[in-house]
Order: sequence, then structure tokens, then C-alpha cells
Amino acid sequence: MKALVLDGSHEGDSLTSVAVLGMTSALAGRGISVELVKPRELAIAPCEGCFGCWTRTPGECVIKDDARGIVGSYVGSDLVAYVTPVTFGGYSSQLKKLLDRILLSVLDPRFTVVGGEVHHFLRYRRLPKTVGFGTLPSPDPDAERLFARLVARNGINMHQHPEVEILVGVTDPDAARRSAERLLDRAGVPV
Amino acid sequence: MNVLLLVGSPKGRRSASYRLGSMLAEGIRKRGAAVSKEMVHEGIRTEAGTVRLLDSVDAADLVLLAFPLYIDALPAPLIRLLERIAERRARVAAAGSPRLAVVVQCGFPEAHQCETAVGICRLFADRTGMRWAGALAMGMGGSVGGGPEKLPGGGKHILEAIGMASESLADGGAIPEAASALFARPLMPRWTYTLFGNLGWRMQLRKNKARRSLAYRPYTRE
Repeated sequence: MKALVLDGSHEGDSLTSVAVLGMTSALAGRGISVELVKPRELAIAPCEGCFGCWTRTPGECVIKDDARGIVGSYVGSDLVAYVTPVTFGGYSSQLKKLLDRILLSVLDPRFTVVGGEVHHFLRYRRLPKTVGFGTLPSPDPDAERLFARLVARNGINMHQHPEVEILVGVTDPDAARRSAERLLDRAGVPV
Repeated sequence: MNVLLLVGSPKGRRSASYRLGSMLAEGIRKRGAAVSKEMVHEGIRTEAGTVRLLDSVDAADLVLLAFPLYIDALPAPLIRLLERIAERRARVAAAGSPRLAVVVQCGFPEAHQCETAVGICRLFADRTGMRWAGALAMGMGGSVGGGPEKLPGGGKHILEAIGMASESLADGGAIPEAASALFARPLMPRWTYTLFGNLGWRMQLRKNKARRSLAYRPYTRE
């Protein structure tokens, strides 16, 4: 089994770094092979909104940079973990710049109905199960609710029901690992 | 009153977001406000451009964010700008409290798919001491690329909603709920939109002389 961990931290974000440690350690403990991607260390241009990944080179972004190879890792994984500082209830810009480039290209542009709403078909028969692992320095119920909602909404786009966990003020890697374990259990990831 | 329109579409002045945001800004300008416009994707590329964007926000009494929905949220460069605004406002004690209003459109038929993005903007305003002034959110946004006036029926309800919103914002208020409801009204039946949308993807593929089908899978699982 393979997992792709997307680390949405900015430089100097110790809380999210601890969360990444907790997640990678929990995955490794289950015998899962982990690929860790840190968008802040990669050359990733923002999505240009050109729909080239749908109508020029279907399935591949027309921008040739580090994001391209990550799409292959995403498709080849069984699990993808979004680890990110909860940013106004959403993802950090670091994580989002990667997701903007990955997620469109794994969808087929044609419309279908999912849960009563119009969405796109999946390009691949099977996509990795998503889990959201957010960090906050202190409790923030509004941000926590919105983050859970965002991950769930993204899940509808990918025809799945992701699980979410938020670490609040956690600086201890063992505590982060325990939270990651709970999240993986809820997501049905085998031990 | 100084109004700043921040356009969060990578297509900049060619985008539906620019058209809709500009129509709202123009309505406010006609009522006596000064309007400036910035393309976020251009500005955020450099530190000098980012500082210019931040200075523009500092000088504004009303900030309008106009953007397309990207995976249930804002495009990454716009999120980056919000992060930078928050950092600056946390450092500056007398940062003022401009109002923040949003125009967002998505490519799905249902306007409610924009709700998480609106929620993110609202929480940003709350956490940075800006005053929330409401949102206009619509589905079928790809249809307004040529301007709402070119839509069947002249895009009458969109123009009406923008008129109501600009009047209220110019008077120091927020976007009325009635304007938001009007703006969210579907431009056409859902089946029509999806039928022509699906045809449109195939036509684009042909126009681009793509050598792959729409469903092509460049990656395989090992």
C-alpha cells in the first residue's frame, strides 16, 4: 500500500511539521510506503485556468514543472493526506497551489451527477482515499467546521467521503501520531 | 470612498470574474467612489508586486474580491494574498477596517457550490478586522465570459442583482440578501447547461487538435 503525504506548511510552521511527522510515522507503523511532498520546496506555478489538462493534453497539465510528476504519484497511491495549517477555514496557499494543479487533471471534464449536484466524471477508475489533517494554534470552532466542510466538499468532487482530523496546539509528535492513528482508523486504513 | 477590485482569476482582464467584478465596481463608481483594479496573479508573482497589492488594500475603504471557484475554494495565488494581508494587518496596529465583499462564480450549475469559498472569505474578514459586506455567488459562470448582457434574456437578473448590490455598497451597507438570491438564480435549466457543456469540451478538444480522448489516462497504477 502507498500513501502520498502533502505537506502544506510554510517555512517555520512547527505545528504542521509535527503533524506531518505524526502522519508519516503512523503510516509507516502500518507498513505503508510513504511519499512526502513539500510544495514549498518545489517549483510549482499556479494553475492558469486554461483547461489544457482537459482539452489539449487530457490528463496532463500543459505547464511543465514539479507538479506534473506528482500527478503520477497521486494516481498511483492508495491514500493521500492533506496536512495543512487551517487557513481561514481552508488550505494553506502552499497546499492549494499543488491541489489546483493535481485535481483537475485526474477528473474527466464531462458532467455527471453526484449526490444530487453536478460534478465531473473521474478520469481513473480508482483514486486514492483522501484524509484531511489540519493544524491550528488554538481552538477555533468556526475554522474547524469550515475546514471539515471543505474537505468533505472536495470529497464529493472526487466521488468519496474523506475523513478529517484537526490538531489544536499539538507540539508533541507522539500526540500527533495518536491523532493520525485515529484518523486512519476512521478512514478504514488497515493496520 | 476608495474601492479596490482584486481579480483572482489567472485569466485577469479576459475573465468572467473581471467582467462581473468590474460591473459591480462601475456601479459603485457611478455613485461617486474612486475605483482601482488589480490582477492578483500578476501582482503576487514578485515581492514588489505583492507590496503594491498590500498597499492598495491598506488604502481601500471597500475591497471587492472577484474570483472563480477552484476546487471549492479560492485560487492559490488569492489565498497567498489573503495570508500576506493577514500578516501585515497583524503587525500594524492602526490598520483600519475596510469592508470586504465578494463576487464568485463556478463552472457547476449550482451556485451553492461556492458556499465554502464564501465562508473562507468571511472568516478571513473576521480574523483580520475587516467588515464583512456580503457576497454574490453564481453557478454556470463559464456562460458569462462574453458578458452577462449577451446571455439569453440579456442577463437581466444578473444586472439587476449587481445594481442592487452596488447601490447598497456605495451607501456604506452590505450586499442585500435579495441581490445574492437573484444573482444565484440559474441562467438556464441544468440539463441544458450540462448538455452544451459536454458538447463544448468535445469541440474544444477538436479545435485544439488534441491527439487524446477526453477520458485519456496518461498514468496507470503499478
